[in-house]
Amino acid sequence: MSQENMSNDNVESATEDPTDDDMILETDVAAGLEEGSETVRTARERSIVEANGINVWYNDEQALQDITMSVPENQVTAMIGPSGCGKSTFLRCINRMNDMIDAARVEGELYLGEKNVYDPDVDPVALRRRVGMVFQKPNPFPKSIYDNVAYGLKIQDIGGNHDEIVEESLKRAALWDEVKDQLDESGLDLSGGQQQRLCIARAIAPDPEVILMDEPASALDPVATSKIEDLIDELAEDYTVIIVTHNMQQAARISDKTAVFLTGGELVEFDDTKTIFENPEHERVEDYITGKFG
Amino acid sequence: MATQDRSSYAEGFGQVSRTVGTVFRYLLLASTLFGIAVLAILLVYVANDAVQPLTADPGWHLTFFLTLVLPTLATAGYLAATNLEALKFGSMTIGLIVVSLLFSGGVAIIFIEVLAPLVWFAYVLAFAVPTVLMIALQRRSRQLSFLTRFVVVALAFYTSLFGLPGVVPSVAALVQSAPFVPLDWVLLTLTLGLFASAPTASYAAGIRDRRTGLGVGVLALAAVAASPFIGPPVFGIGTVPSVILASVTVVPTVAFVGGTAVTREHARIGILVPLLIVGGALAGEVLVDTLGYAGPQSWVDWQFLTSDHSGTAEDAGLYPAIAGSILLMVTVAALSFPVGVGAALYLEEYAPDNRITRFIDVNISNLAGVPSVVYGLLGLGLFVTQLGRPSGTIFVGGATLALLILPIVIISSREAIRSVPDEMRQASYGMGATKWQTVKNVILPRAFPGILTGTILALGRAIGETAPLIMIGAPNVLFSFPSELSSKVSAMPLQVYSWASYFATDAFYEKAVPAGVVILVTVLLAMNSIAIVLRNRYEQET
Repeated sequence: MSQENMSNDNVESATEDPTDDDMILETDVAAGLEEGSETVRTARERSIVEANGINVWYNDEQALQDITMSVPENQVTAMIGPSGCGKSTFLRCINRMNDMIDAARVEGELYLGEKNVYDPDVDPVALRRRVGMVFQKPNPFPKSIYDNVAYGLKIQDIGGNHDEIVEESLKRAALWDEVKDQLDESGLDLSGGQQQRLCIARAIAPDPEVILMDEPASALDPVATSKIEDLIDELAEDYTVIIVTHNMQQAARISDKTAVFLTGGELVEFDDTKTIFENPEHERVEDYITGKFG
Repeated sequence: MATQDRSSYAEGFGQVSRTVGTVFRYLLLASTLFGIAVLAILLVYVANDAVQPLTADPGWHLTFFLTLVLPTLATAGYLAATNLEALKFGSMTIGLIVVSLLFSGGVAIIFIEVLAPLVWFAYVLAFAVPTVLMIALQRRSRQLSFLTRFVVVALAFYTSLFGLPGVVPSVAALVQSAPFVPLDWVLLTLTLGLFASAPTASYAAGIRDRRTGLGVGVLALAAVAASPFIGPPVFGIGTVPSVILASVTVVPTVAFVGGTAVTREHARIGILVPLLIVGGALAGEVLVDTLGYAGPQSWVDWQFLTSDHSGTAEDAGLYPAIAGSILLMVTVAALSFPVGVGAALYLEEYAPDNRITRFIDVNISNLAGVPSVVYGLLGLGLFVTQLGRPSGTIFVGGATLALLILPIVIISSREAIRSVPDEMRQASYGMGATKWQTVKNVILPRAFPGILTGTILALGRAIGETAPLIMIGAPNVLFSFPSELSSKVSAMPLQVYSWASYFATDAFYEKAVPAGVVILVTVLLAMNSIAIVLRNRYEQET
């Protein structure tokens, strides 16, 4: 009972947050201007990731059932749902990290831009170079801060002034001011929140098209979490961010679109965040969001 | 009701018997200490035979107790109570001095008896030239394809080392036939001195900045270059040992002490411990000399370390066996390290999880348990009988011992590779790294200390092996030094074994054997302590 109340309160406060709504409106206007004759609505629908009937099995167990959704460009799309609902699995389908798991089998089409990433001629390594990823647990390499950020530049053989790119990436990850004097020190010496921002800097340094985040704040304290959330907001200006989160309030705060996955690997509802939280179409989604289960 | 309950609590809860648990606990303690205690008793017994401390005058003991033991213990005790970090630093320094002195001894034996400095210099240069070329090509990796670079580098290495017969002489041969040959110590300064000062410079650069690093590096090289002028007149040692001592012992120790003193001010005071030990030993030495107290009639002395075997125990020494052991270790390390780490890497990172892999897995563990005498038989059959190599040579001995420790190297390297967290791999793959890039940039650097620790411990096992060497026909006793891979070699455990069997007179049995055991165990402990220090470092980082 009390849990339900709490969730309700939080959702309300989140949706009432005026800045979030303003953000969406601003993006709408900007996108509308860019697209010229097209309506605001269709401009927002211009998608960069499009899943078409994605099914995933782990051995004989189906983890995702026929997922079809399209993720709009330069927005934050959140995926929420109870544990084991397949939201992380779907995230890992986008950059084919599921290929690493021997037991996983993926069927269906997933377009990144114009290309189906599951076409036989797609090199998953080349694909991952265009998609950045941030993991649940901060995982900087046991290298210097500089080398951590420059890792993608080095392995992808990206030319240019690495010093500048590293500085720029750290600035965008809101970490530059804290670490500019200790770039030679190990990334592992930073605090958890700083490590996660370092990982974000590392992910954006090679300038990917999409950034995937798998519960990036779940291992962090509230202060570090709010920093990460602010950062995600800013990143959405230039990147498409797809974020998996356990935390519904977080999804409400930071995302433009929300996809709700429920047990069994089903995508139950995918719509504007506002609609999902205020007026969901499905009763199950409402039950989940209000905390009746999950 | 409530008051009644409270009163029954007040009477106490009674007791639960723990007798069985206590007995069990002390039985466990006994079994923990059993092996250690027995071995300790044996070692004390052997050390007593070898060093014979009771033959010294009581005055000798008293002098050293007052100058060396008492001040050291007092300082160490004080530091242990107030500043543990400083004590750690002090004992690390002492350990470093001891281990590096042993190391310089080994290196000195090699350069004086086995490897001419000119040959060494020639091959270092022959390696350096194509390496520089390789790095230069790496810079241009965008213009040239991998295959081109690979072929050019491989060709360069081959030409530089072996030459193209009749067309181009090798760099190694060119240097060796040069009309003008610098002095030995110059050659060693240019090689060993550089090897010592380059890491020192990068260490200093890591603490401060580039310029400091460069300055420290030049200073270290200058110190090595100056050593042949200081060593002979002051310490009465030759120029070659002076250079070796300077580059293997002095430069690393000073770098470690200086670096720690700069970075960890709190621990600075710990330098007292090594100073007191060295100073106390010198003061004690001077005192007993002037007071005329006789020291113990130790069997572990300079004569024992530098003499060949002899029919009489008094003149017998371990020198050729020490050199043989060192050469065997170098061969074993060179053979088992790349093969073992390669196999471990394949099994951990590349191998599919199928029946064949599991079969190999199980059998590598089994191989680690095969008795060493069986490996000796394998070495004899494979290298001597099948390949027709002469028996008892460095190559055959080293290859046999390498086979012996290969399973241990593989298992410990796999352990180290497995301990690299999976998040690191995920992060690397998520960045779009290929498997090779992940292995090279993330897994190997992270696993390397663990791999090194395991390999050193495995080498420690190889250095004590006797049975395989007997099987492959290594001579028990050697009077001359092995000069190439195909010369006969003996080793410390083999020498001790032969003293205890073929020459087992009372004198040999009671004196030479314990002395040999003390040397062997000292070398082993030094190797293990390197491994332990590496492991601790590694654990701190993770």
